[in-house]
Amino acid sequence: MSDADHTPSPGQTGRRPMPPVPVKIVIAGGFGVGKTTAVGAISEIEPLTTEAEMTDAAIGIDDPGSRTDKTTTTVAMDFGCITIDSTLKLYLFGTPGQSRFGFMWDDLSRGALGAVVIVDSSRLDDCFAAVDYFERADLPFVVAVNAFHGRLSHDLDEVRWALAVRDGVPVLSFDARDRISVRDTLLALLDRALEQAIAAPS
Amino acid sequence: MTAPPPDDPGRGGPGRRLPPYLRLGAVTGAYPAVPGPEPPGAAPAPAAPAPEAGAAASGDAAPVAAVHGLRPFVLTRGRVADDACGIRMETQVTVNPAAIDDQGRPDATLPTELRAIVALCRQPLSVAEISARLRLHLGVTRVLVGDLQTSGHLAVHTQDVPNPRSVDLILRVINGLRTIS
Repeated sequence: MSDADHTPSPGQTGRRPMPPVPVKIVIAGGFGVGKTTAVGAISEIEPLTTEAEMTDAAIGIDDPGSRTDKTTTTVAMDFGCITIDSTLKLYLFGTPGQSRFGFMWDDLSRGALGAVVIVDSSRLDDCFAAVDYFERADLPFVVAVNAFHGRLSHDLDEVRWALAVRDGVPVLSFDARDRISVRDTLLALLDRALEQAIAAPS
Repeated sequence: MTAPPPDDPGRGGPGRRLPPYLRLGAVTGAYPAVPGPEPPGAAPAPAAPAPEAGAAASGDAAPVAAVHGLRPFVLTRGRVADDACGIRMETQVTVNPAAIDDQGRPDATLPTELRAIVALCRQPLSVAEISARLRLHLGVTRVLVGDLQTSGHLAVHTQDVPNPRSVDLILRVINGLRTIS
């Protein structure tokens, strides 16, 4: 802890800059729902993009019988970070937009504090897979409806019903462009995580 | 010489060997390089070395020239970093001070991409940030970071794994976020 506030020059013998402990929250949701906007609204750094090569068995819906072809696709994940304190850094990682890459979410979600599933209320279909995934992974999550221009095309109860979200999982509206709104969404998620952490057998 | 501490970059984990392309540039002294077997296939034919600003020309240029111009995928030789190495996308990476000079420059014999990684890590950085800033694929970055850990250039802080279900940790994050206005 004593080294945390002092970053020595690299030339100093035997001293290394002490890194913070990294924590992360997954920002999930379909293509174009506002993941990068939300990350950008609150991140200290401009959102960065990391690309991962995924091998995608090109079976698809058209031809479920044929598994001979594998294609490699690059998926992009946008992310940002927030310094919590001198020894703790929070990363926000966006999932790849295409839902067929759900299998790579294990990598993203492992060790995460929780997830925010961003929903565009006119395209609920896109996030069934995400809600399903996080429920099965037993990861704390919230559903956050990105309200464009402050209006929802469904109200929150309808969203909860349509997504079959369990009681206890917060469903809220937010504005992905607004830093305070994004902050409050993350806080709602962390409240949920706290609830589950306290309730878990020690 | 005492045994390296658990987080020591010279100990890359079970079965880690120094890849051939890194042997020339391995950090010696405090952390002896682990010799590795020759790979079953020969290294690819050397590409014509492109002149690199700042790259030191030396009498030992032949093996260095062999790796200049190789694409990162070739450096990794198709290896994929598996979960056993514990390197996540958020894992923090720092430079071993012995691997850079007073001006923060890494060993000039390192291949270009690896010099770039080492130079970036003068400040703690996550694997994902290294990948993004250098425009290297995440999987490739993981493998190269692991190699640089084995060779002694980098410290990869896989031991600093927080417990995401820790009440104290969650409260710290909550309190930190509340200060955002």
